[in-house]
Amino acid sequence: MEFKDYYQTLGVARDASADDIKHAYRRLARKYHPDLNKGAEAEARFKEVGEAYEVLKDPEKRAAYDDVGKRWQPGGGQPPPGWDSGYEFRGGDADFGGFGAEHSDFFEALFGRARAQAQRRAPPRAQDHHAKVMIDLADAYRGASRSIRLQVPALDAHGRVVLSERTLDVAIPVGVREGQHLRLAGQGALGLDGGPAGDLYLEIVFRPHARYRVDGRDVFVELPVAPWEAALGAGIDVPLPDGSAVQLSVPAGSGAGRKLRLKGKGIPGKTPGDLYVQLQVVVPAPGDEPQRQAWRDLARMHRDFDPRADQGGT
Amino acid sequence: MTQAKLSLLQCQVVEEELPMSLPELCRACNADAALVQQLVEHGVLEPQGATPQLWVFAGASLRRTRVALRLLRDLELNLPGAALAVDLLDEIARLQRMLQGLQRE
Repeated sequence: MEFKDYYQTLGVARDASADDIKHAYRRLARKYHPDLNKGAEAEARFKEVGEAYEVLKDPEKRAAYDDVGKRWQPGGGQPPPGWDSGYEFRGGDADFGGFGAEHSDFFEALFGRARAQAQRRAPPRAQDHHAKVMIDLADAYRGASRSIRLQVPALDAHGRVVLSERTLDVAIPVGVREGQHLRLAGQGALGLDGGPAGDLYLEIVFRPHARYRVDGRDVFVELPVAPWEAALGAGIDVPLPDGSAVQLSVPAGSGAGRKLRLKGKGIPGKTPGDLYVQLQVVVPAPGDEPQRQAWRDLARMHRDFDPRADQGGT
Repeated sequence: MTQAKLSLLQCQVVEEELPMSLPELCRACNADAALVQQLVEHGVLEPQGATPQLWVFAGASLRRTRVALRLLRDLELNLPGAALAVDLLDEIARLQRMLQGLQRE
């Protein structure tokens, strides 16, 4: 197990005052809070900062931590004998629903009992649990079943909190959108004292897609077309996220970037979304002489055409 | 193999099908009623209904409540600060979606 330098995590000196610690925490919490910073590392950083603050803001925990720190063998990696016993804590409110819910092994070993005690005071009504589930856009079109593995805190025979793994097979309903929540009645925490079980809420996150972009129930895609398709009009098969295709009629004289709407072909639902197709004109590299000649002929036939007519000047 | 299919769990989409009462919202967010009432007073949540007993929260209230609670707890904000932050976060999300759209034009 590695020693966690909570002072370093918060960037404060070992003799920092309670105020210094609070200020450092608030600054870092604002910087890394997952609601404010969607970066990949932010959540992990925020958890470290939260854990450090949880220990250093509490004089009793801080004293215990300092004591362990003094006795820890530098580089040895071995905790001093009896390092995780003898500290009694009242324990804060256990909350497994938030970002600050998970602690490091180091913290667990040192303060694990605080959580167990807090749990014992939990109200008889079982807690509702929250988790995120990542799905593909295609799943929102077709519906899907997803196996979801959850780490569920439970009390063992000694009243200590242990994490056990639970697998649920969930039917993802057709038409679900990013950021929505699925409620699974009765799948939250087990009821204490025979009370009813809590509910489980799953927040939907879409796996990013290389081609499709989603905004609410509307879906956006770019469609490459040949210059003659854009100029003369064409019927083109547009692939939908669910693997099917729909024919789009590209009107003659369409410019690059033109946005065409396929009504009702976005994410399905009572009010289905629309699929917006943006044309991308792809120009073939002129190859052999006859092909180059064809472009020259085209230019000759369009002497009056000035693509920069609206740019001012010449 | 077939057991997994038999036990496939059905669920409801909160934002579409589940308007919630005050006790239901409190339970879903592990929050106490007094705090949720304060969120209403500060305009974070706008339930239908004249009194707390009659309040009906739209499904989207779940997310706003949870964000507000996290900000209150994790950033040690006060209620007006958290209310402002929740509104600004929604506004930022709206503008980011708009920007994404514009960048593709």
